Amino acid sequence: MSLALVLLVAALFACGVYSMLHRSLTRIIVGVVLIGNGVNLLIVVAGSRPGRPPIVGALDGATDAIPQALVLTAIVIGFAVQAFLLALAWRSWALDGDDEVEDDLEDRRLAMDRRRQIRIAEAQAREDHARWLVRDASRPSTHELDGRDEIERGDL
Amino acid sequence: MDRLAPLPTVIPLVAAALAMLAHRSRWLQRTIAHLALTAALSFAVALLVHADREGPAVARLGGWSASIGISYVVDRLSGLLLVVALFTLLAVLVFAEGQRSKGAESPVFHPVYLVLAAGTGAAFSTGDLFHMFVAYEVLLIASYVLLTLDGTPAQVRTGTTYAVVNTIESLVLVMAVALVYASTGTLSMAELPARLAELNDGVRTGLQLLLLVAFGLKAAVFPLFFWLPDSYPAARSPITAVFAGLLTKVGVYSILRTQTLLFADANRTLLLWVAGLTMVVGVLGAIAQNEVKRILSFHIVSQIGYMILGIAIGGPAAIAATIFFLLHQIPIKSSLFLVEGMIEHSTGTSSLDRLSGLVHRSGLLGALFLLPALSLAGIPPFSGFVAKLGIVTSGLAAGERVAVALAIGCSLLTLVSMAKIWLGAFWGPATEPVLRPAGAAPDPSAAWRWPAAMLGSTVAVVLAGLALAVFAGPLYALCERAAADIADVDAYVRTVLRR
Amino acid sequence: MLATALAVASQVPRVLDGEVPSSGWTWVGSLGIDMTFRLDGFAALMALAVSTVGVVVIAYAAAYFRGHPDSARTCRFAAFLCWFAGAMLGLVAADGVWTLFAFWELTSVLSFLLIGLDDTDSANRFAALRALLVTGAGGLALLGGLVCLEQSGADDSTLAQVGLGLVLVGAFTKSAQVPFHFWLPGAMAAPTPVSAYLHSATMVKAGVILIARLAPEFAHLGWWRPVLVAVGGMTMLLGGVAALRRDDAKQSLAFGTVSQLGLLVLLLGFGDPAVTAAGVAMLAAHVVFKCGLFLAVGAVDHATGTRSLTGNSGVGRRLPGLAAAAGLCTLSMIGFPLTFGFAAKESALAALDSAPGGWATIALVVVVVGSVLTAAYSVRLWWGLFGDKPHPPGAPAAHGGVHHVPGLLLTGPVGLFALVSLAAGLLAGPLAGRLTVASEALDRAAHAHLAVWPGWQLPLLLSAAALTGGTAIGVLVVRYPLSAPARTLGESVFARLYSGLLDGARNLTLVTQSGSLPVYVAVVFAVVVGVITAGLALGTGTAWGDTVLADSALQAVVAVLGVAMAVATVAARRRFVSVLLLGGTGQALTVVFLLYGAPDLALTQFMVESLSIVAFLLVLRRLPRQYRPAPSWAPAALRGALSVAVGVVVAWFLISAGSVDRPTDVTEAVNALALDEAGGRNVVNVTLVDFRGVDTLFEITVLGTAALGVANLVAGSRGVARPDPRRMARVGARSMIFDQTTRMVFHLTLLLSLYVTLRGHNAPGGGFAGGLIAGSAFVFRVLAGGPEGAHRARYRMPPIALIATGILLAAGSGVVALAAGDEFLETAIWDLHLPVLGDVHFPTASVFDIGVYALVIGVVILVLGNLAARGDATARVPAGDGA
Repeated sequence: MSLALVLLVAALFACGVYSMLHRSLTRIIVGVVLIGNGVNLLIVVAGSRPGRPPIVGALDGATDAIPQALVLTAIVIGFAVQAFLLALAWRSWALDGDDEVEDDLEDRRLAMDRRRQIRIAEAQAREDHARWLVRDASRPSTHELDGRDEIERGDL
Repeated sequence: MDRLAPLPTVIPLVAAALAMLAHRSRWLQRTIAHLALTAALSFAVALLVHADREGPAVARLGGWSASIGISYVVDRLSGLLLVVALFTLLAVLVFAEGQRSKGAESPVFHPVYLVLAAGTGAAFSTGDLFHMFVAYEVLLIASYVLLTLDGTPAQVRTGTTYAVVNTIESLVLVMAVALVYASTGTLSMAELPARLAELNDGVRTGLQLLLLVAFGLKAAVFPLFFWLPDSYPAARSPITAVFAGLLTKVGVYSILRTQTLLFADANRTLLLWVAGLTMVVGVLGAIAQNEVKRILSFHIVSQIGYMILGIAIGGPAAIAATIFFLLHQIPIKSSLFLVEGMIEHSTGTSSLDRLSGLVHRSGLLGALFLLPALSLAGIPPFSGFVAKLGIVTSGLAAGERVAVALAIGCSLLTLVSMAKIWLGAFWGPATEPVLRPAGAAPDPSAAWRWPAAMLGSTVAVVLAGLALAVFAGPLYALCERAAADIADVDAYVRTVLRR
Repeated sequence: MLATALAVASQVPRVLDGEVPSSGWTWVGSLGIDMTFRLDGFAALMALAVSTVGVVVIAYAAAYFRGHPDSARTCRFAAFLCWFAGAMLGLVAADGVWTLFAFWELTSVLSFLLIGLDDTDSANRFAALRALLVTGAGGLALLGGLVCLEQSGADDSTLAQVGLGLVLVGAFTKSAQVPFHFWLPGAMAAPTPVSAYLHSATMVKAGVILIARLAPEFAHLGWWRPVLVAVGGMTMLLGGVAALRRDDAKQSLAFGTVSQLGLLVLLLGFGDPAVTAAGVAMLAAHVVFKCGLFLAVGAVDHATGTRSLTGNSGVGRRLPGLAAAAGLCTLSMIGFPLTFGFAAKESALAALDSAPGGWATIALVVVVVGSVLTAAYSVRLWWGLFGDKPHPPGAPAAHGGVHHVPGLLLTGPVGLFALVSLAAGLLAGPLAGRLTVASEALDRAAHAHLAVWPGWQLPLLLSAAALTGGTAIGVLVVRYPLSAPARTLGESVFARLYSGLLDGARNLTLVTQSGSLPVYVAVVFAVVVGVITAGLALGTGTAWGDTVLADSALQAVVAVLGVAMAVATVAARRRFVSVLLLGGTGQALTVVFLLYGAPDLALTQFMVESLSIVAFLLVLRRLPRQYRPAPSWAPAALRGALSVAVGVVVAWFLISAGSVDRPTDVTEAVNALALDEAGGRNVVNVTLVDFRGVDTLFEITVLGTAALGVANLVAGSRGVARPDPRRMARVGARSMIFDQTTRMVFHLTLLLSLYVTLRGHNAPGGGFAGGLIAGSAFVFRVLAGGPEGAHRARYRMPPIALIATGILLAAGSGVVALAAGDEFLETAIWDLHLPVLGDVHFPTASVFDIGVYALVIGVVILVLGNLAARGDATARVPAGDGA
């Protein structure tokens, strides 16, 4: 087994973890991708030895094909998750102009004095109300995109 | 019958694709989803019966032997879980139809919901370790999408926490699986027991613990549970209900399967500690909360502790109790969240600060909450009592007195928090709903009449919970047979490898 | 209710003839939970009490609640009360321990619901909670005790002793013994009929019943008798004193009940046959007179609107009948000659007097003192309710006056109970025989000795002394009332415990549930480091295996480059830079894979990295250029340490696990089967689409689902069907050259993608790589050409349909096989002779690959198309609006 690659795996993990320990969702995603690459490399390095591509007919001295198949699956899945996380970042930007992951309201709420609690409760109430509007059919104006589309028709 | 083992998984998958094709017609999607889940459920029942009568159904996908290809193995345990899971998925789906009004319905919901069902089925029935990882990914990605279906600020915030933490879980899991292959040269759970046994202690224990971390994170055990109470409450109630019922239980199932099958003779002291802490921290967290959904979410954690305790105690008696606990939890938890959904549907909130006097609004609602709540607290003659008694008895028989005392103490605390909800939300002067549904009928009593689908499915799940109590006798016997299967590793290996 | 009573009554004769009717069924055989019932003498006595009292109370309640505004509540009351009666009957008739336990808990729950019947008053709610938690805790103690007793075969093992202790705790809580007595007075929040029925006549007797059942077996244990006498005695005395100090008649009665329960526990727990028999008599007597008194209080309350012992005045003159009846009950309670209570107490004193041992003497003394107190508070109670008092100065004229004369249904029951007390006292002789049947059920040697007039002996003298002394004290207390404490010690302790629990839970949760994602991530990775270290620390044998510095110089160089870029990625301050460097690390991996002999991996890695960078940049367009400064919650050093630790342990694990020389049989089998049976030369691709085809099937499902999620999050449900070309932004300025080139390259790329897909089964490539190529072709066409480009690219089929088709093709090829009688996803190989192409070697797995191809195209279009949506001005929606 190649120490160089082991080192690369370790570095990818370490950097990934460090990057994930931030609030910016972008950095977290970067971390996820780094660790994902680290894992993929780990699968190959741990599961097979370097050699010729495993093509029938030239199989002597070829590498183990199974880890490669596993990695292919892992790569694709990693891409899927990354895409979804990016969409989350996009959405969180669309909602409040940034991709910082805030602390959980309810958890903070436990720690707060009464006055703050009330304010948060009101914020919560507004959020609840938003849920109502989303769920409610009879008010199309609040339905997902319409607001947006009007503006667009405006600028086309 | 053997070849049909993948059907409870494949049917929802194909249906998901069809539902995507039908993305323009909610009605079509709805029909597809219901038919698919019903079909899958009936196949699951058939498989369970088969497993109980003639032993596990083993499908070798692609016609390859278990060591080369991937095999689906539906034994009693898997069969039981498939049946309960699909039933819950179906009931919650009906509830969701009742709750959501057309306009706000997303074309994504049905396909993704079916994908979730497929992932759950695969996780319960696969006999291949890497495929279990893939199954996890399927149900995880589906859960991400469902959790953030509305894209509200709360959903995005908590969805991020959920997605990131669970992504770490997947990375840990796939790393563990890769190392398993690297050190044993196989991924088939039938071949692994022998090969893992040959490994040196360090690597074997490392693999065991790493898998435990991955699955434990999914099952939300201490100290890896924090993501759950933060994320579940933000989703729509039916989605939370199905998450609460199923997802964590998939983690528990995987722990149960891997710890008993792959690492049968490993030391369980660590699990014992984990279980105790999970029970206590979870239930105390529930007591500290002031919002119905969050209280219930913390209870998920606390109850997971009981199941981990059963696994930690080990031995057929405890495993049987664990399986029964697992089966009992799924409908009970889901029904509690469905009731919460009804409350939210009527009042627009689930915060104890703003709820009061619900029994005066609807006695039925009170009854629908009280029955599963008592069952959760382990009050006889409900199923929770049987489950708890099973754990406690086997634990005492195994001499784990502290853990048993802890388990009993925690059920008192469970009672406390259930009483907290009851006093806060159901008793007291009846108040008007905080947030009237916009555009709802002017007369206030309208808010207290739920769509038939909502009410019906909730009642159905609650009744299912009661049925568990009524038929606890035969069911528990079945659980004991399932536990016996699990204890007999050689039999599993022989069946799967056709040796 | 009446039917129940009749049913029970119909059984009584059989029981008196010594039969024991019994029935039952098995519930959970595996755990030995049976539901079994047997109606022996004692059970019959209790059942008779439960059912008959139930009938009377229901009748009384009908009058009590007449014209009550909240009819729904009245209905709830009736339902709960009937259920309670059922549960209580089950409890008294229970044979198996679990039967007893089940009904035990049920009564607790129903009592909770009944206490909180008037739930609009917060005091009531808390009282109900208190009762539930105390009895519930007791129930759990009982549960633990029963399990212990079951587990321990031998009686004298520690486990059995502990179990017995726990069972006793359970009984004490249920029967309101010191120090758990405080919940009972609180339970008086319930309507009077409930108090009369549950909290004096029946439920609170459950503990006594249990103790009575256990005593004959376990009295031989050294600690049994002292404990029982101590607890019972304490309860009796404290209850008596407290009863003297309460002004509210119900409160006073409640403490009276506590005191009497203490007496019963003392007698029935004593474990001496004669005492037991006396206890049974006392039990019966108590049911009758205490119930009567409660109902009397209820009637007075109903009539005057107050239960204050100082507030009521002259009620006796207005309601002489009620006063007389209540008086009779009082006499029976204080043990006045010719009443049931007298006969019972006499036999108790006699039995204790004749019983051997020092504890008997102590018990005797306690009982006598207790009776003094009983007499005192009873006299005070009766006088307080019915006697004339000097009109309290400043009180309104109508104060304590009788608004209306309560109806017969309210007063009748009281009279009934009074008559029973008297009759039973007069017919003590014949009654004794009947009661003996009951007491014998507990203890073969227990024969009831009741007499109307026992003759001048010590017992009589004692009770005479008690009567006179007690009456004197009672009169004194009436003259100089004692003040009651705001809340009893028990109550305050409970309140403190409860709030302490809440605060503790809150503080703990603040620690465990920080709500901050970085903290969570840190915890998870810390755990990972911990477990790997813990595992590998057990020793990993020959760890280093066949490790070399590097397989090739080039590999080493690329690896170092990769490390450098990874570090740089994290160090970068600007999002754009860090993402580009991230792409760099990814491409370094591509090279590594290529060198390693994994061209498929390299190809896929290359495509995925490129596309993911594009996706990244599309999102970064929106986000601020710079990262915010790192969070303050932990110093960089700490985070760095954790990161390095993770890297180190992973490397350690990788080396130790990777250097195990594992069996390679699976690999060889795969290589061998690839061509012959799976019909493919590229083993990796064959593994993907055939050996592990179902993995791939689910993998593309993940991809498709993620794409739907992206579309849903970015563009809402409209974006799901297809990204609207109108809403796609052109990346950078419109450039003619870029546009033209893409248009030319477009079709070539599509052909290339098809080629890559089809050769995949035999050479590096495959549906996934092909799909990525084609998909990116579409997207770049759109990005380059803007709306017009999108129009020219004219993908008619909405991506969601492509995704669905992909899954259907992939899964379908499996389902077909299943239908054809093969295993799911089993491959068939077709060798076709086509006119032009000649022989075509076509494994059905290729259908699978084509499915992958279609799906990936759809995914790429959906994801990139949506992320490319021009949202700068329009996509910002105010927080709070749904997706």
